[in-house]
Amino acid sequence: MASVYIPVQNSEEEVRVALDQLPRDASDILDILKAEQAPLDLWLIIAREYFKQGKLEQFRQILEEGSSHEIDEYYADVRYERIAILNALGAYYSYLGKIETKQREKEEYFIQATKYYNKASRIDMHEPSTWVGKGQLLLAKGELEQASNAFKIVLEGDRDNVSALLGQACVEYNRGHYSDSLASYKRALQVYPNCPGAVRLGMGHCYYKMGHTKKAWQAFERVLQLDPENVEALVALAILDLQTNEAAGIRRGVEKMQKAFEIYPYCAMALNYLANHFFFTGQHFLVEQLTETALAVTNHGPTKSHSYYNLARSYHSKGDYETASRYYWASVKEINKPSDFVFPYYGLGQVQLKLGDIKNALSNFEKVLEVYPDNCETLKVLGHIYVQLGQTEKSLELLRKATKIDPRDAQAFLDLGELLISSDTGAALDAFKTAYGLLKKGGQQVPIEVLNNIGVIYFEREELTLALETFKEALGDGIWRAFLDGQAKTYAVDAAASIFQYKDVQLFHRLQEDSFVVELPWDKVTPLFNLARLLEQMHSTETASVLYRLILFKYPDYVDAYLRLAAIAKARNNLQLSIELVNEALKVNDKCPNALSMLGDLELKNDEWVKAKETFRAASEATDGKDSYAILALGNWNYFAAIRNEKRNPKLEATHLEKAKELYTRVLVQHTANLYAANGAGVVLAEKGHFDVSKDLFTQVQEAASGSIFVQMPDVWINLAHVYFAQGNFALAVKMYQNCLRKFYNNTDSQILLYLARTHYEAEQWQECKKTLLRAIHLAPSNYILRFDAGVAMQKFSASTLQKTKRTVDEVRSTVDELENAVRLFSQLSASSNLQFHGFDEKKINTHVEYCKHLLEAAKVHREAAEREEQQNRQRQEVARQMALAEEARRKAEEQRKFQLERRKQEDELKRVRQQEEHFERVKEQWKSSTPGSKRRDRSEMDDDEGANSEKRRRKGGKKRRKEKSSKSHYEMEETEADMMDDQEELEDEDVNVNDGEHRNQRNDHDENENAEENAQELLAAAGLEDSDAEDEAKPAPATSRRRRAWSESDDEEVLERKPQSSPVQENSTELQESDGEIREDVDKQHGDAVVDDED
Amino acid sequence: MKLAGLKSIENAHDESVWAATWVPATTSRPALLLTGSLDETVKLWKPDELHLERTNTGHCLGVVAVAAHPSGIIAASASLDSFVRVFDVDTNASIATLEAPPSEVWQMQFDPKGTTLAVAGGGSASVKLWDTATWKLIASLSVPRPEGPKPSDKNSSKKFVLSVSWSPDGRRLACGSMDGTISVFDVARAKFLHHLEGHFMPVRSLVYSPIDPRVLFSASDDAHVHMYDAEGKSMITAMSGHAGWVLSVDASPDGSAIATGSSDRTVRLWDLNMRAAVQTMSNHADQVWGVAFRPPGGTGVRAGRLASVSDDKSISLYDYS
Repeated sequence: MASVYIPVQNSEEEVRVALDQLPRDASDILDILKAEQAPLDLWLIIAREYFKQGKLEQFRQILEEGSSHEIDEYYADVRYERIAILNALGAYYSYLGKIETKQREKEEYFIQATKYYNKASRIDMHEPSTWVGKGQLLLAKGELEQASNAFKIVLEGDRDNVSALLGQACVEYNRGHYSDSLASYKRALQVYPNCPGAVRLGMGHCYYKMGHTKKAWQAFERVLQLDPENVEALVALAILDLQTNEAAGIRRGVEKMQKAFEIYPYCAMALNYLANHFFFTGQHFLVEQLTETALAVTNHGPTKSHSYYNLARSYHSKGDYETASRYYWASVKEINKPSDFVFPYYGLGQVQLKLGDIKNALSNFEKVLEVYPDNCETLKVLGHIYVQLGQTEKSLELLRKATKIDPRDAQAFLDLGELLISSDTGAALDAFKTAYGLLKKGGQQVPIEVLNNIGVIYFEREELTLALETFKEALGDGIWRAFLDGQAKTYAVDAAASIFQYKDVQLFHRLQEDSFVVELPWDKVTPLFNLARLLEQMHSTETASVLYRLILFKYPDYVDAYLRLAAIAKARNNLQLSIELVNEALKVNDKCPNALSMLGDLELKNDEWVKAKETFRAASEATDGKDSYAILALGNWNYFAAIRNEKRNPKLEATHLEKAKELYTRVLVQHTANLYAANGAGVVLAEKGHFDVSKDLFTQVQEAASGSIFVQMPDVWINLAHVYFAQGNFALAVKMYQNCLRKFYNNTDSQILLYLARTHYEAEQWQECKKTLLRAIHLAPSNYILRFDAGVAMQKFSASTLQKTKRTVDEVRSTVDELENAVRLFSQLSASSNLQFHGFDEKKINTHVEYCKHLLEAAKVHREAAEREEQQNRQRQEVARQMALAEEARRKAEEQRKFQLERRKQEDELKRVRQQEEHFERVKEQWKSSTPGSKRRDRSEMDDDEGANSEKRRRKGGKKRRKEKSSKSHYEMEETEADMMDDQEELEDEDVNVNDGEHRNQRNDHDENENAEENAQELLAAAGLEDSDAEDEAKPAPATSRRRRAWSESDDEEVLERKPQSSPVQENSTELQESDGEIREDVDKQHGDAVVDDED
Repeated sequence: MKLAGLKSIENAHDESVWAATWVPATTSRPALLLTGSLDETVKLWKPDELHLERTNTGHCLGVVAVAAHPSGIIAASASLDSFVRVFDVDTNASIATLEAPPSEVWQMQFDPKGTTLAVAGGGSASVKLWDTATWKLIASLSVPRPEGPKPSDKNSSKKFVLSVSWSPDGRRLACGSMDGTISVFDVARAKFLHHLEGHFMPVRSLVYSPIDPRVLFSASDDAHVHMYDAEGKSMITAMSGHAGWVLSVDASPDGSAIATGSSDRTVRLWDLNMRAAVQTMSNHADQVWGVAFRPPGGTGVRAGRLASVSDDKSISLYDYS
């Protein structure tokens, strides 16, 4: 047992002090030391011994006593020992300062330490150990540069000073100069091979930092060999083990950690790692305990940050986002640079996202991305955040990057796809398909939502069969299979009851009785609805209807299904049922704007104007005026009203038009791309005569409307055609009407045929006009107006043919035929008028009949005349032929004569010549007498008439146009009335023409006078009335009005078609679900808007 | 059960072809196809080459309907001017000209025994029955107008009769109207029996099943074909699939299929067991106004034939097997 001997002053005796039996009270020893004036090195030895035994108080007491003022004076010449005591105290306080966690005390300790070292320096400026101590102190305070200077001072004096070398190594290490640090450690080891394990520990860390894992490993192992209880080496080895990322390695690592923990339970590093481990094993209680301990024992920023992170993670995984967020925050606060420890930023971002703090989440994830620019998860999360912030472009960029970095990340492709749906369906489809392929390859179940989305995109791209397959795949097996494959037969129902088949759910009860399983899981409702919608598009209306009813059978609140059923019923003209179905929908939600809009539409179709207006108003109010459809419908309503009231009240008309315009404009302001509003505005403009502007509008709308399966806008084609027509460009108008008919109506719309006929009529293409009308009659047999029009067309044709200066007999004959047909048509109408099939005035028809008959007689005369003429022509031709024959004969005779000349000489020559001359004379005579002189005069007279008539026609044009503002059927009638009047005049002319041979000139004059008078009257009348030009331009009005109505029918289909589009959007993919939902909803809105836009 | 195209004649007429029917075979010649067109002619075609046998003129305005007597000797054609011309198929000699003003003429059909010609009377809301021996009007079967305080013109025009069909036993007659209702008559008693409801758009074509006198098929502008039990007043099924108006329907002689022609330019073949379309022919370029199965009979003619005519001026012949 070691002991020290304190020499007794002034004697040879010594007091033996056994070091392991030092008194508890240091004062005893101190007394001896002081009393015997023991050398200072003994003081130091005893103090050190106390320190080793952990009796810090005694240690401090002795040293403080040993550095007191008296001692300084007494031992003034013992410099080294005094310095050593001071340095020991400095080191002691340095250590206290280093381990102290409270900032104020820490400072205090450091100040103390500094005080002692300075005192030591005052004794000897050049004492290396003081400098080393100062260096350590500075190191502890984190002042690396100064610490390094201190060590350098020592090393300049003695380049093998181990302590300085170690200090320098430490400085270099902290500066991140690992190789320099390593060099210093190595040097220290060379100089002093038996130095403690700590040196090797330092080397291990250096190796580790430099990435030489194996060497690091060896270094730590060596430390452990030297000191099996070295916690730091254990922890370091454990970390190395853990980092192997293999099960065995991790187990070894955890074991080492536990050992370290047992040796020294307050090593924060070990605690953190253990906590980390228990986090992954799910023992959250342990995690919290360990980390809390770690937090209590360490003051080291990164370690604390790690601890907080562990805690936060634990709470995060338990769903306590508030607490988690606080701890993540604490963790982040401990970090200087995100690149040091980035995980808490990620966690904080996630939690903030959960708590809805998108802005901060964004900045946190951005920080993560800075550190790991290629991290897919971060890219995806940021992508989602940008979507929520509406920065789609940025989001797309990030997600695209994510998919590029990891082309096997199905989720990234899904996210990308969802993002692209609203902007680029093609790219979205590609993304979804890739995701689909990846999921399939990975043997994973493809989520129903994904299939649904793919199906919807196919649907939009009009790849209907592919869409069908996809929806079927999404739906899998179920009762719907039976309907799709036609296995479940419908049951016969009473025909009267069948009217309401679309409401009938009896079918499903029956199926249940027949032991079918009628089930519909909630997640399959949307795909099923979309499938039904698709079937509708593919015209399998019946199956679609059954599927909608199936949805309603299970989910009676599914408003859209009611509306689709109502739309089907409406398409089949079953208005009553349609209204009932819409009312069912309104029972579920009496504020549903779509249902209200549809109801309004149906009411309009039922001619319930006031009710319809109320309903549209309600629809508009239900959406705070944000629903474009309702506003548009109101606009249309006003437009119709304007057209309707026109005859009765011009003021009202203007008001209504103004109102309509205002409403259209309001929609356009909200949604600048609203096709239907643009169309409406175009109509109002056309109504006011601004044809060029409206034409531009229509053309643009037409362009925009082409290319989407969900936008069907025949109206704009018709409106465009109307404008061409109004501008007199008949050829283009015809083409436009025909294209529209073929493209949208399967050539079955008699109304457009009527427009077409009207254009032909204006262009004086009578045959085309008639044929078109006959087609229209064939399509709409009960529309007697068409028959009337056909009659008028034929009458007009006949009249115009008879006016022609040149006409063939065939023409005149066909004229007669046409007139006969016209007479028959008019007589039929007249005969059936008493049955009240149509609203014609019988008298008027009779006038037509009379007139046609009259014309017919005239035509017959013409025909006779023409036939006569033809006969004469034939005679003339005959004569010519004979002449030719004679010529031929003469030529032949000539030849013969020449031939005979040689033989017969001159004898017969004279005779024959005379004969021939005689014959020739005769022929001439005959020819002269057969040319009727009257013909020419006849013709010139006709010319006169032609002139008069054409003048009249012009006039008539003006007259006609004025009437055209009224509703179409109305207009047709008016027009014919006008026609008839004109024709009557013509009739007179004709009469004159044909009958009056003698008083021709007189009559002509008279006629002209009459015409002039009439002209004047017309002019006066025109002047008295409104500007005739404006009226001219108002021409397309009636037509458009009807179109508008037709259009509003198609409209609410559009409204409903919005559904399948939005539905993909309703469904969401797995991660970040809530926030996704929001994103989606936004997109949905936009999408919806887009659709609404399309509507208009 | 399938259709295979045999022959198509482009520009078979100068204008849209609106009507088609088969004239049954006689001892001296096979069955012929009779077509009527907007070009005011009626033409006779000999299968399978669709050789043009003859062109009949004499109609004014378009020919909207043709009908053949079950004997195959006489036939009738009707045009928009509301005349019905009855003629000898082989000689084109006119036999009679029928008109019943103010009633117009739409579809026509001879009864299975050949004693009566039924003509859909359009706005007169009635079916006119003509005796084929005397060519006298023997009856006018009126569709009862809906009861109401005042029969406005709007309502009455809805009962406009477009189509007729005889039941195979000749006891019943069905007619279809613009408003979609189908009326069934007891011919013997000249009595209206009941309406068959379900359509709300014009019913342009009707046909009874040749094997079941209760079963009636209807084609409507609502793009649906309905199958009714005409006696039991019940609808058996509704078949959808056409994208446009269904303009014409005919039942195959074996009663197991029907064919339809539509404004969507297609001809569809429907399997009545599956109650679904089994084939779609899209060879026409415009509305298909008529489809007609060739009636069985004639020397050595077993094969089933279907003819279709279209607004694109063409006629097509298919093998049905």
